[in-house]
Amino acid sequence: MLTVAIVLPLVAAGVLAIYAGAGERSARWFAVAVSAVPLALLTIVWLGFETGRGAPTFQWVAEAPWIPTLGVGWRVGVDGIALAIATMSALLFVAAIAWPAETQGRARQYYAWLLFLEGVSLGVFLVLDLLLFYVFFDLSLVGMYFLIGGWGHGDARGAALKFFVYTLAGSLALLLAILALVLSTEPLTFDMRELIARQPLAGSQMRGGLVLLGFLIGFAIKTPLFPVHTWLPPAHVDAPAPASAILAGVLLKMGTYGLVRIPYAMMSATFARYALVIGIVAVVSILWGALVAMAQRDLKRRIAYTSINHMGYAVLGIAAAGAMLGGEETARRLALTGATVEMVAHGLITGALFLISGSFWQRTADYDLEHYGGLAGPAPRLTATTTLASFASLGLPGLAGFVAEFQIFVGTFAVFPWLAAIGLIGIVITAALFLQMLQQLFAGPLPQRLATFPDLGRIELAVLTVLLALVVIIGVYPAWLLALINSTAEILVGGSGTH
Amino acid sequence: MLWLLAIVPFVVAAGLAVARPRERRHLAYTAAGTLALTLVLALAAAIEGWSAGLVWGPMLRLQAELVPLSAVVATTIPAVALPITLYAAVHEDQRGITRLIALLLAFVGAMELLVIAADLLTLLIGWELVGACSWALIGHHWREAKKPAAGRYAFVMTRLGDLGLFVAAMAAFAGTGSFTYTALAELDGPLLELLTAGILISAAAKSGQVPFAPWLFRAMEGPTSVSALLHAAAMVAAGAFLLARLHPVLGPVPWFGPAAMGIGLVTALGGGVVATLQADAKKLLAASTSAQFGLMFIAVGAGYPAVAVLHLVMHAAYKALLFLAAGIAGERTGSFELAEMRYGRALPGIAAVTAVGSLALAGVPPLGGAASKEAVIAAAGHSGPAVAVMVAIVGALSAVYATRFQLLTYGRGEREAARSPVRLETAALAALAAASLLLSAVWVPAVHSVAAAWLGELSASKVWELVVSLLAVGVGIYAGRLLVLTYPALGSTGSAAALADWLGLPAAVHMLIGRPARAMARAAAVLDDRALDALPRSAAVMGRHLAALGGRFGELLADGLPLGLAQIVGLGGNDVRRMQTGMTQHYYAAMAVGTAVLTFILLWGAWA
Repeated sequence: MLTVAIVLPLVAAGVLAIYAGAGERSARWFAVAVSAVPLALLTIVWLGFETGRGAPTFQWVAEAPWIPTLGVGWRVGVDGIALAIATMSALLFVAAIAWPAETQGRARQYYAWLLFLEGVSLGVFLVLDLLLFYVFFDLSLVGMYFLIGGWGHGDARGAALKFFVYTLAGSLALLLAILALVLSTEPLTFDMRELIARQPLAGSQMRGGLVLLGFLIGFAIKTPLFPVHTWLPPAHVDAPAPASAILAGVLLKMGTYGLVRIPYAMMSATFARYALVIGIVAVVSILWGALVAMAQRDLKRRIAYTSINHMGYAVLGIAAAGAMLGGEETARRLALTGATVEMVAHGLITGALFLISGSFWQRTADYDLEHYGGLAGPAPRLTATTTLASFASLGLPGLAGFVAEFQIFVGTFAVFPWLAAIGLIGIVITAALFLQMLQQLFAGPLPQRLATFPDLGRIELAVLTVLLALVVIIGVYPAWLLALINSTAEILVGGSGTH
Repeated sequence: MLWLLAIVPFVVAAGLAVARPRERRHLAYTAAGTLALTLVLALAAAIEGWSAGLVWGPMLRLQAELVPLSAVVATTIPAVALPITLYAAVHEDQRGITRLIALLLAFVGAMELLVIAADLLTLLIGWELVGACSWALIGHHWREAKKPAAGRYAFVMTRLGDLGLFVAAMAAFAGTGSFTYTALAELDGPLLELLTAGILISAAAKSGQVPFAPWLFRAMEGPTSVSALLHAAAMVAAGAFLLARLHPVLGPVPWFGPAAMGIGLVTALGGGVVATLQADAKKLLAASTSAQFGLMFIAVGAGYPAVAVLHLVMHAAYKALLFLAAGIAGERTGSFELAEMRYGRALPGIAAVTAVGSLALAGVPPLGGAASKEAVIAAAGHSGPAVAVMVAIVGALSAVYATRFQLLTYGRGEREAARSPVRLETAALAALAAASLLLSAVWVPAVHSVAAAWLGELSASKVWELVVSLLAVGVGIYAGRLLVLTYPALGSTGSAAALADWLGLPAAVHMLIGRPARAMARAAAVLDDRALDALPRSAAVMGRHLAALGGRFGELLADGLPLGLAQIVGLGGNDVRRMQTGMTQHYYAAMAVGTAVLTFILLWGAWA
């Protein structure tokens, strides 16, 4: 099941790449149809996922030996956290592929890359083998590199290169850490379940610290956290809108997901020792991302910097959850659940916001906020969707972001009260910057040249409606999502059998 | 069932947003029907003792219930919103009227949610939704840039206060493992003090108390009906309500009483002075709202939450009336300049109805507003006669500005009204005036004791307090009349105008918060671009050089990536030897296949 979700988009990407006869329209609908399959499969997995006590951590597991001497195998399976993020990613891929993008006459290649990226991204979230995880993690860079470089605008090549070089540097740190972790096992294994059970570096302070550092560098660049975030804004600004949505919605999650999956789970003692440091970096990211975003005049740069702010919330929750091996279980579980909801919510919300910014670019080829105004008149649907997405992003109750941030703050407070209190300031700054953005875009007098600004088209509206409907549903009644995530958070937090 | 109080207005609002009826009559009937239904539901809920719960997650549970205090407020909200919304449907501009009515309904729904909440999470949801509605309502006329800017100001300023509620929720969970009001009784020590501080700050921000008062001024950019609802029953009322509702928890904290009374007294005196000096009809009323809510803070601080709620209800009735009256005068003047109005001769009926509200605001017996104000004085008197006297001075100031308001808007003058108000406008005003008159019944001992039995202790005035207070009202009315005769344009120029802008508080907020925040953001952005980006930029430059050397970047990468991986694996040193024992072919085969696939992908990408 999960294997199909990974392999099918990859195969379809290969087919699109080779089969030269596909036109723009057929390539697009083929890609939409293919990308819907993993979503459907993951929905089935979700429905069949057991959340009760005593249910296995990883479910829907499948494995096949690959390089037995190295302990490498094709292993797939999900826990609640992976399933929530993977399903959100699959949905976002359908949205990004369905989005009417400017493919510059190379539709076939464009959709092939998106499908390729879908396959490897789902791979990251669904595999249970560390080597495969790394391979997929790296391949996602390749897919994104070509999407930005090939279909971006402005200095797209430069931005793509910066993105690639920067995040590849992170991957190398990650690779070193993975090897160091795995090589301390006897017999050798890349099996994540084994590694979680064995906690290979539990006894070694020095080595554990260094390996953790490697993981942190790798994942901090991907997430990204202050101060290694500067690749993100240019990559976003020059990327085509659907790629931006995927970059923010899916690729950034690999950083936070990786943090939970590997250092948090596989070396919990070391993680707990350095959790405060991670928490401090997260809070700095929260404030820095929000502050810098507020000063941006460029629509996409502004949204990009709020990603740093939001991912800071997620990392803060993860740090609080992993800060100790026993005690404060309820609060830490709340923090970890909140962090996961933040990943899902941020994917949906920021995905929608980046798609929206693509609508602006397609109509005017301009991201400068000061060139806009009064669009609520000619474009009421665009106004409504952007307003909803912005309020979701600033954490208004009734929308998904609040469910995440509330749990993160409340959970973190029991562990790191000061960090939670300082981090709260972030939600005021984001409120100010999003409201200012809305005002700039939609209120005030309408400039003459925008008089004929077209409102959202049918497909644009449909895609955004689906994403934002989920944002509202999670915001109003998140029980179905929280039950899934909590079942895993319970296992991860109550590691000492206290649950 | 209790959720219905919040859900019904929300659902109808959403329906209006979708169906978009444009006819005023339809809008008026729909809104009136919805609010009437909400009112009936609130009464039924209060009588039947409804409660509700919703499980969000294993650790999160939303809960709602009505206690007597919240039942009174839950009933007041739709009762006051009903005439206001009817008035809005006929009075406000045709453009955007559907959106306005829908948002007013949503505003009521959010407010009801906040009132029925029985835990801090539910409270926070309603609390912030009210703020979001007010943002949209204040910026209703979005074509003028300063109106949405005022909405943003209100939202950000109150959200700054909302952080207090977040802190309160965090403290509650850390101490009790839940968010319910009932569990808060278990809290003690620093966590209880943190909760108290958080709630007090949030309440002060919402209720327009010092130092958050300026947002209420900017909020006057909204349509008149919005101001009426915002000041009477929604948003601003939330702060005082919350303090009254949670008084059993907050009261035992030793500094809570003095702090709440201090905030309330400073705001009441400051707001009184500001209102006295204001030249703008709506801003006069706005400053008076801060002052009247200051009185409610004093009452809660003194330990009489029931008195605060009583004053909240009285205030809701007369303040809604006064705003709607100001709207009628303002529409005919084209501005809210007090010096330009005086429609007493042209609109005698409206003038008479407005006078009921003004007298209630001034605190003239036998109106209900006077009863609740006397109760506040009596409550404050328990903290010492000096406090009671100061509250009496607040009362005198109320009388001054109420007199100014009445005489300048609907005093006798030569102004002609271009048209008389439509029937529904007059009916809305008349209904609110009738409500104010009906509420006078609280002076009747039998009614008073019933209210006290249900709500809680209503402090009884000492004789000297009543005498001093009534004297103060008399002096205030006289002074107000004198001001109108000698300085009809008071507050439009000079130092009076400067003081009338909330004693310079908005400028201070701008200097201390607004400007530094913006400066910090700019500095951070510059630093982010210059310093933090230096390392990756040099890496990118290097990469470009490499690409130039090697021809096409893609090919270079195709060689470089696997090669680099192999090298790094090689760095593993001794440990790697284990990898190579026996199965070297497998390893190399895997590596070769991987490299080939990668090369293919990269080449294809570069070609595409």
